[in-house]
Amino acid sequence: MQNDIILKVDNIVKYFYVPDKFQVLKRVGFEVKRGEFLALVGKSGSGKSTLLYVLSTMDTDYEGSLIIKDTLLTNKKQNDLAAFRNEHIGFVFQFHYLLPEFSALENVMIPALKLNKISKEEIETRAYENLKLLGIHEQALKKANKLSGGQQQRVAIARALINEPSIIMGDEPTGNLDSKNTQVVFDIFREISKEKGQTIIAVTHDDDFANHCDRIIELMDGKIINQ
Amino acid sequence: MASYINNRISKIHLTSNIKQTIVAMLGVTFGISMYVFMTGFMTGVNNAQNDLAFSSLAHIRVYNDRPADNTNIAAKVFPNSVINLHNAKIIKYTDGIKNSNIILDALKAQKDITGVTTQVNINVFFKNAGNKVNGSVSGVDVVNENKVFNISKYITEGNWNELKQRTDGIFVAVDLAKNLSLKVNDNLNILTSDGISKNYKVIGLFKTDVASIDKSKAYININAARHLIGANQTYVTDIQINIKDYNKTENIINKMAPIIPYKTESWQIANQQLVAGSSLREIIAIAVSLVILLVAGFGIYNIMNMTINQKIREIAILKAIGFSGPDVTQIFLTEAIVIGIIGGFTGLGFGYLIANLVNKIPFEVAGLHTLPMAYTLKDYILAFMFGLVTTFIAGYIPARKASKIDPVTIIRG
Repeated sequence: MQNDIILKVDNIVKYFYVPDKFQVLKRVGFEVKRGEFLALVGKSGSGKSTLLYVLSTMDTDYEGSLIIKDTLLTNKKQNDLAAFRNEHIGFVFQFHYLLPEFSALENVMIPALKLNKISKEEIETRAYENLKLLGIHEQALKKANKLSGGQQQRVAIARALINEPSIIMGDEPTGNLDSKNTQVVFDIFREISKEKGQTIIAVTHDDDFANHCDRIIELMDGKIINQ
Repeated sequence: MASYINNRISKIHLTSNIKQTIVAMLGVTFGISMYVFMTGFMTGVNNAQNDLAFSSLAHIRVYNDRPADNTNIAAKVFPNSVINLHNAKIIKYTDGIKNSNIILDALKAQKDITGVTTQVNINVFFKNAGNKVNGSVSGVDVVNENKVFNISKYITEGNWNELKQRTDGIFVAVDLAKNLSLKVNDNLNILTSDGISKNYKVIGLFKTDVASIDKSKAYININAARHLIGANQTYVTDIQINIKDYNKTENIINKMAPIIPYKTESWQIANQQLVAGSSLREIIAIAVSLVILLVAGFGIYNIMNMTINQKIREIAILKAIGFSGPDVTQIFLTEAIVIGIIGGFTGLGFGYLIANLVNKIPFEVAGLHTLPMAYTLKDYILAFMFGLVTTFIAGYIPARKASKIDPVTIIRG
């Protein structure tokens, strides 16, 4: 097995059953290398987000196989997948999805506290470092719901990075941001993929964003038309 | 396996919407305080009732019962024939208990017996000049009678122990004394069914608050009673026995019956209406309290359900970043249990407070001064356990629902 293949999908088939039976993904298969910065693009309804959620292990209702870090994840139990996500996958969503009642720092710390591999003090230091990396360390003790959209998105990225996952997945990570913040987020992704060798898979509408990635996979009607 | 982060999330949830948390806790507090108060009140009422009853009733009574009905003895020999016997009689060969000492010695060997007293009960007419009232006079073992029935508590005039020396003295119930226009130091004539008449001196009065007793009873020394009916020194009509736990008469009667050749009867058998009353009150109290707890449980269920609906996106995100179904269940169940424990303790305190207040309400009937109340540790523990179980169930159902949330459907909208 080549060691630099981090993620591999084969023959992914998925149906939606509501409102009618509809095939969203039609035998999708590809490989992603370690450290790659990959954009998933396509028109709305092309199945790119659906594919991302299959890759994320959250959606388990599909046919085909998903292998991440040489581990076959298809047909694993939900609770095992949760533990796997916690350690190996970081998420950034379009609408940041922080826990509003916790401070920015705590939001960043939560996945690491859940993983429970290093002490609470170390986690706190690392979370603060991450916030500093993203330039929002001054907001560390503010409640998440008191931050602006751009700040919240950066906190969400800091959270995605806290366990140093192999893969970071973004569902329209810049979809809700202005061009300045989009640039900031893009630069962060670029930097972590280059310097830390973390793989990034992002679904995006933004052509400009996509064009600056290492690789683009384009979907149409549930099939890969370009990669 | 309660992890730090799960507890931390539970804590934040509980403290960030403190009003909602307090409302949920108040539900438990209310349920448990009512439970504590209701059971305390009912137990208090039952105890008061029993105290009243046991002022003239021992836990176990031994007496010489009438023999079996053999008036139609011929029919037993010739069951298919018609035989008329006129004026058939049941003959009672023995009256009362003749050799009480042997029985008393046997009883002393028994454990669990806290008091034994002997009585010679006689049905008599009380006469004071023209006034004549029928009733009963009890010849009693002065010291033991007080141990078993706590009679000195009911004395309104005179000194109970004086009866030990005074074979001519008599203690008369207040209403009986009033009907006969008697005061202390007056003379009272007693007429037995055998036509024997004797004078006694009233040396005291008593009041039990049981109307039928207060109208018809008097006490004399047991030796005076034996003298009155011409019986020997070991003759008694009744042996009254008190035991440690008055609910456990059956055991002791089963042990006693083979060694005592007389009828042994528990207070429950003799007074089934008392037992029925107590049991019915208990059932009502438990039913009412459980309904209250159930309502409180629904309150918690509702609030937990609401919380989970409000936090559905948070739950989805927790699952996305690696929290498993059991983690989510644990987070919300912890919240419910914390609500249950804090609500439970305040409920116990509040219930005790209500019980205390109600206990102070004046209630001047049948020897009571205030509404009766019992404070039983067992009931308080039970109330707390019930509260905890209710909150556990009421929290578990929504928590399970939360654990089954599919993050994809929530996050994708």
